[in-house]
This record gives sequence, C-alpha cells and structure tokens, in this order.
Amino acid sequence: MIFTGEVLRFTLKQTDRIIEAYVGEYASGKSEMAINRALELKNQGRQVTLVDLDTVEPFYTLRIIKKSLQEMGLKLISFAREESFGLGETGAMLNPQARWALMNEGDVILDIGYGVHGAKTLNLVEGAYESPDLKILAVINGTRPMTDTQAKVQEYLRELGRVDAIVLNTHLGDQSTPDIIKSGNDLIQAAAREMGIPIAYVALEEKWREIIPVADYQLPIKYIKRFMPGAIW
Amino acid sequence: MPKVIGETKKSFVTGNETAAWACLAAGAEMMFGYPITPQNEIMHYWTRLAPKYGRGFLQTEDELSAGFTVCGSVQCGKKAFTATAGPGNVLMQEPFGMAEAMRLPMLAIIQQRGGPSSGTVVYSQQEVTLTTFGGNGEGMRIVYSTATHQEIYDYVIKGFNTAWKYRFPVFILGDGYQAKMREPMEMYDPEERGIEMVKTYPLIGLPGKITEGREPQHLCNIYSLEEELYEVVMKVAAEYESIQDQIVEYDEKNCDDADIIVVSHGVVSRAADDAVKILRAQGIKAGYFRPITLRPFPAKQLRAAIAKSGAKKLLIAESAYGQLDRLTKQEIFGETVKIENLFMPGVGIIDYDITSKVKSVL
Repeated sequence: MIFTGEVLRFTLKQTDRIIEAYVGEYASGKSEMAINRALELKNQGRQVTLVDLDTVEPFYTLRIIKKSLQEMGLKLISFAREESFGLGETGAMLNPQARWALMNEGDVILDIGYGVHGAKTLNLVEGAYESPDLKILAVINGTRPMTDTQAKVQEYLRELGRVDAIVLNTHLGDQSTPDIIKSGNDLIQAAAREMGIPIAYVALEEKWREIIPVADYQLPIKYIKRFMPGAIW
Repeated sequence: MPKVIGETKKSFVTGNETAAWACLAAGAEMMFGYPITPQNEIMHYWTRLAPKYGRGFLQTEDELSAGFTVCGSVQCGKKAFTATAGPGNVLMQEPFGMAEAMRLPMLAIIQQRGGPSSGTVVYSQQEVTLTTFGGNGEGMRIVYSTATHQEIYDYVIKGFNTAWKYRFPVFILGDGYQAKMREPMEMYDPEERGIEMVKTYPLIGLPGKITEGREPQHLCNIYSLEEELYEVVMKVAAEYESIQDQIVEYDEKNCDDADIIVVSHGVVSRAADDAVKILRAQGIKAGYFRPITLRPFPAKQLRAAIAKSGAKKLLIAESAYGQLDRLTKQEIFGETVKIENLFMPGVGIIDYDITSKVKSVL
C-alpha cells in the first residue's frame, strides 16, 4: 500500500459541465495536468476547451506545442506565433478568447500560469468566481524545493488561497523512482490531511502503469503523458 | 536562522530557481535587481526566500542602479549579486566596467535573450560578446558559460569564490532555455561538500591610517592622466593574465583522433555532445570541445586539441550569428584549421542540426 491512513476523497464531477482550473507553484506541472485532463475528457467524447491563462510570459508556455495539441483534436485558447506581435514583457497580455472562455459550450480546463497568484488570476475570466461548476485544483510536486516538506506544502497552500482539491504530481523528470514519487506524495498528503483539503487524484506517468499499479493506491490515479518537454521549458 | 540546504537531495527545478538557491547556499547576503525576462524567477525566488534566511533584496529603478548598488555593497564587504538579461545586460555594462576598474568582487547571472534591441524575450546565445568584452574596457572579467542546472548551481557557488579570491567581476552566463526549462539537479551545502567559501571583506573603512601602517585602497575608476591610465590598465591586464591558467575551464571529448572538432558552449554543447556520440557510432571521427570559461578562453587547450588530433576542420555551432566564432578565432589566431559554422541565432540547436552539418562539410 503506497498511501496509508485516513484518505480524504474528492470526486471530480463526471456529469454536467466540468470546469477545472489548475493552479500551483511555478513548474509544478499545471500545464501537464491541464493538457492531460483536457485530452482525457475529449477522448471520452466530451466537448472541451483548454485555456492557457499565463498572462505574465504567454510566449514561454503552450505556444510551442499548440499545433501538436490541435492536431490531437484539442480546442485550445492560447497565443500562436502568428497571433503575437512582438510583445515580450512590455505588458501583461490577456487573450480576449481566454477572458470569455466560460462562454464556450462544454467543459473548460484552465491552465493558470505563473503560479504564485494562484486562483486570483481567475478574476480575469468572466464568470469564473460565480460559476458553481468551477473546481480549483492545486498541482503539487514534492520534489520542488518550495514544496518538499510537509511544513512547506502547508505554508504554500495557505498562500495560494482557495483550493478545492490537490493533484499529487511528485516526480523528478527522467530520474523519477517509485520511492521518490511515494515519499513526495506522502508528505503532500500529510499536509493536505492536516488542512482538510481533499486529494483529487495522483498523476503518474504512463510508464509506471505496470510498476505502480492502481491497486496500490487508495486514491484515483490518472496515468499521464508528459507534453511539456516538447515545449523545451 | 534555518539552514539553507538541509539534507542533500535531488529537486525538480527551473534554472532560475537553481540560481536563486545557489546564491542562498553560497551565502549571498544581498541581491539588487530589476525585473527582466528570462531571469525574472531568480528575483521572484530570491524575494520569497531571502526573508526566511535573513538575506536582503532591493529592487532598484533600473539596471544601471542595480549594477552600481552591487558595486557599493561589495565595497562594504557584503556578498552581493544581481541577475539580468538582454537590454539589462547592456545597461549594466557601465557598472560592470566600474567593477573591472575598481577590482570589485561582484557576481552577475546573465540569462541571455535575443537581440538586437529591447523587446525580444526569447532564447538566444547573443550576449556572448557583450558579456565577455562589453563596456569601455578590456574585458577584465571572468565568464562561466553553463550547460545544465547542476552547473548553474555549481558555478554560482564557485563564481562567488572566484570573485572574492581574485577580485574580478564574475558572470554566470545562462540563456532563456536554461532559465525556464526544468530538470532534476542536486542541491548541497558547499561547506559540507568540502568547498571552502572565501570570506568576504570590506574594501573601505579599513582599520588603521593611511601612511601609518596601511596603504591606500585606490578604489578608483577615474584617471585624468593618460600615463596614469596606461599604468593602471597594464597592471590589471598583467594580473588578469597571470591568473588565467588557474581559472580557465573546458571540456573535451574524442579529440585525440578527430577529423573535425565541434566547438560550442552553454546549452548548445549538450546537443554537440550527443551529436559527437552519434557521429562516432557511425564511424565519423568527430571531437567535442567546449569552453566553460568564455573569458578567459581556453585557447591553449583548444590549440592543443587541434594539434594532437590533426583535425582538418572545426565546426563552431552557436545560437547566435558568429559571436562564439569571433571569440574563438581571435583566441586561436594563426591556426590553419578550416573553420566551418552553424549559426542559428535565436533558435535552439539539436544533435541532428550538428550531425547534418558535419556530414555536409566533411
């Protein structure tokens, strides 16, 4: 058994409209989770829109892999090269389509870039706070220096503001091991339990499917593919 | 005050975070800075971490001030640093020049971005000339070009020691990719690794009285007499040249019998390393040479590699339009090996780019 003790469960809504915002520490895996979740929903035959809401450095995020994501059939609101006009850091940019993202039919998955402000960035999306369907999911990787102890995770979650559930995303890139994944996820879980925040799911790379089987967990597992290495950063 | 690095362990980080943590681990006391992409997270993380460890931060009104405040701070004996990129690096050349003139132990982390001009925030290796020889001086500075997050960590720690030991400004030269990309690396406490951190010391307000037991410090960047300037520059140049052998660092692989040597630096050298392995596996005698210090440049070592291999060609690969190329040529002037180029300004270079180029010129 990988995780022991009392487990707070959180069920992602499977009916009606799904609106999830992925927040979290810079480089915690928000974009990976958002892409994977959007693809999962699309593959279930659902209508889904993935929104890149990095307002600080919009050209360092999904831009590079936009085309390949679209080729997979994903509807994506994000800047493409031909849509940018030389703005680097000369102003925070909000894609008008992102502002009105919730007006799209079907599910909406929001990738809230540049972590520190957490869900506060959602004030840019019309109707987000009022939406009864909105779930704010904090992505945490227990090998990140700001979230690598229970105390740090708790401190971080307090700074983040509203969080409806946590996604356990401990990994060490291509140097991950089952032990590293377990110890990181354990400390996040301990922090979450103490704060009464439920766990949405555990994200594991596809390659762990046989090695770390679902049966080992008391939590839902989502096996994911990592797309962001293709974006280089 | 909590210890910066508790147990040594691997972390999954960006290069910018790595730089901030390395400065903390190296005992840096103060950062002065002004926001600029792609180095922003060095400041972001430093400002989040510094209060927890009793360190300081000041955001100045621009990069000129950031550079000069570092110059002031190190004169007081504080281990201070800054980080910048692109146009910020241009503005900071003035304070960097002061640091050369006054022999100030300052450290600057440069995350290169594209140019020319101001607004290009993306990856590039176009700040080589600026970082090695910028300013109205003679390039009396030490520039480490890193390739991995682990190296950013290692060379930031080493860089502070180099600065405070030799009193020349030290640069850690990364780039937009290294700044933003994520990979695992190991953070450690340098003292626990047996790395002795050079103690800092004030350059002003020293005890004793001039003429009564101590010499004046002569922290000066203004010389009104030509002869005086001549004397000072010649003295500094001689000192710089005398320490070169202790500072120069490079990496060399497969050069003993190479027909062609691929020369690259920074993140591009990772592609060059892979490319040389691929070419060797295909029976092509390729070698790999990477200057880690761009200033001083490992000229003797590159000349030796050319000599021992009898290589017919060098291939200089860089994400710039000839900045490493010019630097290399001036450093190995007189060599008759033919020099080929792979210039991809602003664009990342992968192993395939290099293997294809090598095959097309051999």
